[in-house]
Order: sequence, then C-alpha cells, then structure tokens
Amino acid sequence: MKAEVFTYLVGGKAGEGVKKAGTIAANMFSSTGRHVFQMDDYPSLIRGGHNFTVVSTSTREVLSHYMGADLVVALDERSYGIHRSHVADGGVMVYNSDVVKDGEGVGVPMTTEAAKYPDAGLRIGVSGVAALSAAIGQSPAELASLIEREYKRDLENNIAFAGAIHEHVRRSVGGRFPLTPSAAPPGATAPGNGGRHMFTGNQAIALGAAAAGLDMYVGYPMTPASTVLHYLAAHEVDLGVTVVHPESEIAVANMAIGAAAAGARVMVGTSGGGFALMEEAFSFAGMAEAPLLCVLSSRPGPSTGVPTYTEQADLRFALNQGHGDFPRLVASPGTVQEAFTLAAEMLAMVWTYQTPGILLTEKHLSESRVTADIDVGSAAWAEPVPHKGEGYHRYRDTDDGVSPLLFPPSAESIKWSSYEHDEAGITTEESDTIVAMHDKRDRKGASLKQHLRGVRTVNRFGDDGPVILTYGSTTMSVMEALSAGGIGARVVQPVYLEPFPVWELEDLRDESAIVVEQSSTGQFATLMAERAGVRPSSVITRYDGRPFEPRELAEAIGGAAT
Amino acid sequence: MRDELLTGAENTWCPGCGNFGILNAVKRAVSALEERGIGRDRLFMTACIGCHAKIFDYLSLSGVYALHGRSVSVAQGVKLANPDLKVLAFTGDGAGYGEGIAHLLFAAKRNADITVIVHDNGVYALTTGQRSPTSAAGFEGPSTPQGNEEDPFNPLVLMLAAGATFVAREFSARIDELSGIISAAVEHDGFSLVEVLQPSVTYSNTYEEYGAAVDTVREPAATLDDALKLARQKERLPSGILYRVERPSHGTRLYGDRNPVAGHPSRDKRLERVNALVSS
Ligand SMILES: Cc1ncc(C[n+]2csc(CCOP(=O)(O)OP(=O)(O)O)c2C)c(N)n1
Ligand code: SF4
Ligand SMILES: [Mg+2]
Repeated sequence: MKAEVFTYLVGGKAGEGVKKAGTIAANMFSSTGRHVFQMDDYPSLIRGGHNFTVVSTSTREVLSHYMGADLVVALDERSYGIHRSHVADGGVMVYNSDVVKDGEGVGVPMTTEAAKYPDAGLRIGVSGVAALSAAIGQSPAELASLIEREYKRDLENNIAFAGAIHEHVRRSVGGRFPLTPSAAPPGATAPGNGGRHMFTGNQAIALGAAAAGLDMYVGYPMTPASTVLHYLAAHEVDLGVTVVHPESEIAVANMAIGAAAAGARVMVGTSGGGFALMEEAFSFAGMAEAPLLCVLSSRPGPSTGVPTYTEQADLRFALNQGHGDFPRLVASPGTVQEAFTLAAEMLAMVWTYQTPGILLTEKHLSESRVTADIDVGSAAWAEPVPHKGEGYHRYRDTDDGVSPLLFPPSAESIKWSSYEHDEAGITTEESDTIVAMHDKRDRKGASLKQHLRGVRTVNRFGDDGPVILTYGSTTMSVMEALSAGGIGARVVQPVYLEPFPVWELEDLRDESAIVVEQSSTGQFATLMAERAGVRPSSVITRYDGRPFEPRELAEAIGGAAT
Repeated sequence: MRDELLTGAENTWCPGCGNFGILNAVKRAVSALEERGIGRDRLFMTACIGCHAKIFDYLSLSGVYALHGRSVSVAQGVKLANPDLKVLAFTGDGAGYGEGIAHLLFAAKRNADITVIVHDNGVYALTTGQRSPTSAAGFEGPSTPQGNEEDPFNPLVLMLAAGATFVAREFSARIDELSGIISAAVEHDGFSLVEVLQPSVTYSNTYEEYGAAVDTVREPAATLDDALKLARQKERLPSGILYRVERPSHGTRLYGDRNPVAGHPSRDKRLERVNALVSS
C-alpha cells in the first residue's frame, strides 16, 4: 500500500538545479538499499519554465513515481501553486517564503539565503536537498558530506547555504520522515555499501547493446533518445564503442548500414520525427539484409509534438516502418532490467537474421531513473553466421533464408544491394529471381519467427482476476497501480510485437480484457483485437504527455473491472 | 578472355555513353593501385541510384549499392567501421549534388577519408532526362518543357568552400588522365572529390563541347583562392587535380588509430568493461 512508499517532489525553474536535487535524493535513498523510482518532468527549454522531479522510494520494488508526495519542496511561486495539491495526507510543503507570501507549510527564505553567495539563482536547487536531509533526520554533518559527494563546484558556499536551509527546516519538521534502509540484492557491489544501482532506461539500452558486442553507435540528437547518444559518447573509451553524430538521421541510418556491411555491430537511435527520416534506409536494410538495430523512443506526436513528454502513439508506425515486404523485428521493454536484456537480445537477433529491428520505448522508460539489478552475464552476444570455404555469394539462397556473412577485406567480391538482386548481389529484373529472393527473405522471416518461439516473448504477472493487457513503460505503471490499489489481476505484456507472438496468446482469444496504454486512439487495443482476437472490454488511455499515476490508474482499473 | 575486374553482368549503358570512359579509368586505377600495394581486396565501393550507379553491377569489387543520394553516407560508415579499407563512392549530379548534397558537404567538412566520383552529365538520365542541379538555365527536360528556370550551381566551388582537401575535375573521354586522378584520390588521406564531365549521348551529348573546353592543369593550385579561381572559370574547363592539401582525416580526429571492426572485443573482454561501468 501507499504508506510503504515515501515520495519526495521538488519543483522550480529550469536551470535552478531541480533535476540535480531529485537525482541526489534518489542516490541517497538507493545508497541505503531502498528501491527508487525517479521521474523528471521538464519542458523543452533551457532556462525558466517549470521543472519538477518526483522520487518515490520503498523497501519493496517500486515501479512508478507517485504524485502524492510526503515532502514537497517548491523553489518558486509557480511550483508552490502547482504542487500544493500534490502534498499527501500527513505530508509537508516546504516553500520559498521569499516568493510565496502566507503560504501553507514550512516557509524558508531560500532566495534571501542564496543571495549571500554568488550565482544565487543557480544555487537554489541545493535547498531541495537540504530540506529533504532535514526532514529525514540527517545531521548537518551528514548533509555536508552529501553535498561534498554530489556537488563538485563551489563546495564551501554550497555547504554553508545548505546548512542554513537545513536549520530552517529542522526546526519545524526535522526527522519527520525517518527512512529505514533496505536489504541490498545479494552480491550487489554497492555505492556506499549495501546500496542499489540506478539506471535510466536509455542507459540500460546502451549497456545492453554494449554487452552484446556493439562496435558503433550513430545518432542525431532528439529527445527522448538523445541520452543513449550522450551516455555512449561519455563512455566511448571505457566501453570501446565508437560514437558518431553526423548531419541528419538520413545520414545516421545510411552510415550505419555501411558500418554493418563492414562488419561492425551497430545501433542507431532517435524519436518519431527522426525515425520518419530513417524510413527509406530501414527499407533498404530490409532489402540489403543489413543488421540494423534502431532505438525508437516515443514522445507525444504527431510531428514535433511535445518533445520532453511521453506517449505510445508510434506503435503502428514502428510495426509498419519501411515500404515493401521484408521481415522485421519490433519489441518493447517493460522495465529497465528488460531494456538491458532486450537490447542485447535484439542486437543478437538482427545479426543472426540480417534484418532491421526496432527497440520501441517511450520517454517514461528512456528517462526515468530506477533501481535495477542488471545481470550483465545474461546478455546475448551478437554473432552472425559466418561464410566458410570458397565461392562467396552475399545472398546465397539457403533453406532457412539466412545467407552466411563475409566481410572485407576479402579476395571474394561481397556485394550488398538496395535493388532487387540475384544471389551474387547483382541487380535483377528477372521474374524468377525476384520471386526467389522474395521467398528467401520470407523464409528468413519464418526462421526468425520460429526462433522467437524459444524466446520469452510475453510476460505474465498474477494468476487471478481480470486480464489486463499492456506493453512498454506502461507495464510499470500498471504493476505499481495494482500494488497501490491492492488489486489482483492477470497482467499480460507482449514484449515482442513483430513477429507477433500469437502462439503465446491463444488462451486470450475471445476473452475480454482491460487494455491500458498511452495513446489517444487505442493503437495497442486494436492491435491485440486484430492479432490475438482479444475483446477489449475497456481501454484505459492517457495522452496528455504524462505517465499514468498509480493511484489514479488503480481507480480506473478498479472501475473497469466492475 | 574474361576480364577479372568485370562481373560479367550485361552492360546496359547506351553505346558511346561517357560512363564507359569512367569504368575503364576505374579499372586502370585499380590495377595501378594494386601495383602500388593497395590490393583490390581492400577496395570497397558504394553507389547511388542512376545510370552512373550501374557501375556497381559491372565492377567486380566488394561494395554496397545504396539508395539514391546516400552512397556518400554509406561509404563513410564503411570507412569508420574499418579504416583499413579504401572506399570509393560513385554518385551522379542528381544523386550527389541534389538528393544527397548535405552528405557531400558534410563529408568534405569533416574530411571523411573517402573518394567520391561524381558522374556529372547535367541531367537525371535514368529517370528520362529531367534537369539536374548542374543543368544550364533553359535546359528543356520532361519536368521543365519551358526550359530550366534555375541556374546551375558550381559543384567545385561548393566543395572547396565546404573544406574538401582534394578536388579534381576530368573529362570522361580522357581515360589516362582520369585514371591517374582516381588513383591519386584514393591514395589521398582525406576527402577527395573527382568531378567527371560525363556526356550522356542520349540526353545531353556534350562530347564536342567538353573536348574543346578542357584545359590540362598540371599542378594543383597553391592556395585555396587560386583553386577557387580555377573552379570559377566559365569558358574554359581547367581539368586535373585543382586542389590538394593535407589535413587530419575524420577518423583520425574521431578515434585516433582505433579500428572498430579489427578491434572487435571478445565477449569476456566486453562484459568485463560493461560490468565495470554497471557497478561503478
Ligand atoms: C528517393 C528516390 N527518389 C527518386 C528516385 C528516382 N531516381 C532514380 S535515378 C534518379 C536521378 C538520377 O540522376 P543522377 O544522379 O544524375 O544519375 P544519372 O542517371 O544521370 O547517372 C532519380 C530521381 C529514387 N530512386 N529514389
Ligand atoms: S541515358 Fe545517358 S547516362 Fe544513361 S546510359 Fe544512356 S547515355 Fe549514358
Ligand atoms: Mg546525372
């Protein structure tokens, strides 16, 4: 139930260090072995506007942030106004009394205190950390060492400023929310002994691909996929993955195909608009049989949409990407752990079956930061079927449709083509060859599908109650809603969406089910009806760019179930 | 006797097409490079889509027959993945200077170590003769029956301005000169652009015009300004290597002497590194 979860919310203007405060709070919780879910809500701008970060933590696994917060810290007036209603029963609002007059809660003159130091505006976020530290009962010394660990710049002033805020908060609500540490997972190598590690979904995707042998990542910035690019670029040397940022998504996808033809395990990433630009190359990869793994991280569309928020309206787009008939792989992870495993598994699969794949995710998973036990050793390894012997034909027509690969430099001539081609890769317009090559690629698609039968393609949770169908990051929202509401249900989450794992869903044919997804038209619900024969009795959608809130979703599920 | 540099695929270029000259020049360049220690196993070609690109099917070299306008991007991906390869991107005036112009400008800007050979026939030949970025004003094609309402741009000036470190022009009929330029371009450490004046006998037969206007440039210009002056000449067509300068190539600046493909890690090695990051 809700009570076991402690939630901290800090809000302010962009540039004030709101996200940083949230991140430090999350680190503080996770370092004691607690489970943590951190969600950053920010508009697409660099200064001003309204940012907030919510961090929910518990001694049990927590799969969503909650909008009812035990401690709210409002750095500016707008945050006070917006987040007043987010103070949970028994919760506390700590606000900046320099900008909010006669507020309810604990008023702290944050601006006045900050003005004693240079760059007052940039410093104010530190008060979010100081208030939390006081409220959970940390001593000023503990706070000082925390600041020392987390803020590299201007330490002395930050410690003094934090100390002053801590003192203000301590007087009224000091130690109000003592947090018990939690047991860390067995074998965890801990930040601060006994802690848990936190990862964003995008970090997990990057790490998963790296663990599968990624050689190169090519990307053009587009939220919410950009942090895959940033993370891999930051770790280019320690991971040994080459990172390239060229002039456009069109260049990205075509460069990646070139890299694959040279033998490099390669991945690209973008959001909907950038992926639309990659579409021609995606189809090219289908024809050329290029192993191309694309991360498609959705934000609300259509068009430029709402860049820094979440939605699941690119499902049909992903499934139908690319002109012409060719096999493709589409899958969507439900959690951070799954993002890691799936990225590795998909990289391996696109290399085995030499066809493009899409790892479909959303801002809510890409950018939320969650405690996760990542089992590096369990990652798949991408290894193509190698050519042996003499007489190479790039598109040898084999029983399973998979042609062995050979890479340059080689005495053989290795020809990849975007045109329809014969086995040697030479352009053809012959009807027999066209048919033979279509059939070869289709057989390869069938082999891929056969392979998927041995892979975990659908997750199921719970064994009693109504059937709930969901996928992607919404899986986390559903699972947390069920624990928040104490609801029993049978959750079915298809991880693979193409080839569609209909063999795993036979029992649902003609069954009625509640569908939960983040799109306005219910794309997933209609997909499940079409492909699995499910009868959606109720489709719970949210499409305001915000992820579901667990208690609200619990209510909606409760309503739909009766 | 079978020509081992040809695949044997049926050649469907119009008899007399300037593309034949380019094919022969490339074959000679491959032999010359081989004599100088660059074996054909290390040569890799990419092509766009157009009449020019059919060279992909004819030449028995490894490569990727890419999308219209994208051969330059694919070539850069190949080169970055395995810098031991020498990569040649074949493109047309429509594909390279039109659909894919951004890739060409950026390849020059970053000094990608690839050789781009542009078959410039001043027309979209394969799609039946529409005007291209280098067609003269007034050019009548099926999309501009009243005459091309745009002026052509000067691709050499454009490439020099973008930072190309090797810029050459040659006429497809001068096979000796062209093959020498191509092998020099392949050996150049950085971005090379070879603009080939290529008559399309069917849509734009410019043999006589080019034959009369071509002047041989024996030495590259000493400065960028001088190269721009050569490139800007209108009546005469200075041909040869117009400009050549040494600058560190893209790959070198990006990752030094790393070779992503040759340096592909063992699984143990990679997992060790991922583990270190996951538990840091
Ligand atoms: C994306 C895309 N748009 C259009 C075409 C059709 N198309 C094929 S070749 C070509 C023009 C080729 O012109 P150019 O590059 O000058 O080559 P040429 O035929 O003159 O050698 C066009 C428009 C295509 N294949 N792909
Ligand atoms: S149409 Fe022109 S460019 Fe194409 S093959 Fe014929 S002569 Fe050559
Ligand atoms: Mg042309």
